[in-house]
Amino acid sequence: MTARLHVLLGAGGVGKTTLAAGYALALAQTPDRRVGLLGIDPSRRLKDALGMALTDADAPVPGARALRAAVLQPAESVRRWAAEACPDPGTRERLFANPFFAALADRLATATDIFAAARVAEWVEHDPALTDLVVDTAPGLNAIEFLTRPERVAAFLEGRLVGWLRWLARHGATGASEGRLRGGARRIFEALVRIGGSRMLLDLADFFSLVEGMFTTLLARVQSTQRWLHDDSTQLLVVTGARHDGAQTATALVQALSDAGLVPRAVILNRALPAGLAEYAATLEATIASDPGSGPVIRYALSYAAIQARALAGVRGLAGRTAIVPDAPGLDGDARLESLARIGETLRLALE
Amino acid sequence: MLLGELPRVVFVLGKGGVGRSTVATALAMALAKTGQRVLVFQWTLSEAVAPWFGLAPAGIEPTVVAPRVSVANFRLDDALRAFFVEHLGMGMFYRHVVRGRAVRRLVEAAPGIAEMMFLGHVCWLTTLAEKEVGLRFDRVVVDAPATGHGASLLDFPATFASMHASGLVGAEMARVDRMMRDPAWVGTVAVSLPEELAVEETLELVPRVTRSLGRAPLTVLVNRSVVDLVEDESAPGWLPALHGRVPPAVVAALEGVQAELTGRLRLERQLRRQLEGTTQHGVFALEEQLALGIDGSPRRIVEALASAPVLAGAA
Repeated sequence: MTARLHVLLGAGGVGKTTLAAGYALALAQTPDRRVGLLGIDPSRRLKDALGMALTDADAPVPGARALRAAVLQPAESVRRWAAEACPDPGTRERLFANPFFAALADRLATATDIFAAARVAEWVEHDPALTDLVVDTAPGLNAIEFLTRPERVAAFLEGRLVGWLRWLARHGATGASEGRLRGGARRIFEALVRIGGSRMLLDLADFFSLVEGMFTTLLARVQSTQRWLHDDSTQLLVVTGARHDGAQTATALVQALSDAGLVPRAVILNRALPAGLAEYAATLEATIASDPGSGPVIRYALSYAAIQARALAGVRGLAGRTAIVPDAPGLDGDARLESLARIGETLRLALE
Repeated sequence: MLLGELPRVVFVLGKGGVGRSTVATALAMALAKTGQRVLVFQWTLSEAVAPWFGLAPAGIEPTVVAPRVSVANFRLDDALRAFFVEHLGMGMFYRHVVRGRAVRRLVEAAPGIAEMMFLGHVCWLTTLAEKEVGLRFDRVVVDAPATGHGASLLDFPATFASMHASGLVGAEMARVDRMMRDPAWVGTVAVSLPEELAVEETLELVPRVTRSLGRAPLTVLVNRSVVDLVEDESAPGWLPALHGRVPPAVVAALEGVQAELTGRLRLERQLRRQLEGTTQHGVFALEEQLALGIDGSPRRIVEALASAPVLAGAA
């Protein structure tokens, strides 16, 4: 793959979504680029800032010619992939009616990670001219699932049990209880019936046999994303903020990445106040004494600066680079796209 | 009216970063002050609450962090063992079938197993845990995963009903379903933050929870509120007076903070208007502790919040 992948990881609420959008905009403003932004958070603010309806299918961002954006909607992705894998309408209908499929597609957010990985590969397949893809991820350590979970699913799908569930889908519970199952498979069949009942087991078997084709494509895409993640050009960016756990969550993420054999390019401290605020603490305390109304704002700023200094000290040296992105209040008004691009440009320059 | 008597299990829901764990722990501490034994039950990859109290991260076995307050963290492997070995007494079955390679892979890959075990464990904690393993808690405060996942957890019994399970799982889910339906057993508290994304999510979360559970959240708690702390003015007199006494960058930073805090004020007022009548007890504020001079130590913040009138009134 020729496109460069940029993945932002971090705890919830550190401003990852905004930073990802800004960074994608900034990249799109440099010459000869064709940039994609894949969000997982369909927030109204992001839609407003980008001035577009964000859907599962990528669409151009008005006012930024070289940028297309999409937001992951597992229910839509799954239906699209199922349709792609089951051209026969009858089979498709049976799949859509399967309770496990409905659970997978509609309700269970835990599955998002796998879809994100597959969606990344799908994007590049369909848009070979893409030069950069910026990916926002699920908050906190959940993002790591994006990297590790596909392996577990792959291990399962290639395992014995799935083959055996497919057999069950073809022959039914009668086939199994008539003794055409032997040895280990029979023991497991009986155990699973004891755990979940035979109807649930048959639905599960039907589910696995119907989604086989879809899973094969899905898995190939997930594996290609995993290879891409390990590519030298890929940038993994750990985002943190001036929070009491800022250093701790960044450290945990870097550790989890390293366990997966991945090294982040940079740790980003987002929404930073200018350093050195604490040096003027005495003057500022005097201001509180003469004008008590200033107390909450000044105390907040001083506490924030102290937390920020601790977070920064804790993340230094975690990655090759520590980038600081200043606090940029006022992401509202008509200049949203420009404000976003400004934040992104700060980050782009810090990473160069 | 403040919170008053709570159900046995309170799910604390909210977007990542709003302070869910902080609020859940503060609520547990407030309840413990009334003499109750309380468990904060989390579902996270890196347990953070016990470390706030200088202890090692908690596993599924409760760790006592303060008088009558314990913390535990859900892990699928541990919950499966607790279910099959301690609850069902099926140690052999657990070792040879559940821990077997093929079934273990199914458990890890199949959608929904973890959710089912999580809810099952919450149910067990408030019913049989006392008899089976001697764990007694008057209240369990569930620090649920960040919004999307937390809310889908509440949908889970309905999802599961469509799966036609019988056997052990069917019986377990029938119990969970009874628990979720009972207002004296399960209630929800949504935590919000006066920030654009969090407000947006809260406005989506409240009706979603109401739909899933068939009853409204008990309350929405607005964390880090500055409503009683900051005046709604963009350029207060003390700011220009600082010019010349501190560098321009410091004045600019304080202007930024002032703008952010007044922005929060407007957002909180808007949130309160939009949430009017959508919760059982109303919307309450938890004050921004940084503006009161607390330096961000989570333990001190939790202890301060446990005395907030809304939480101190809970029973």
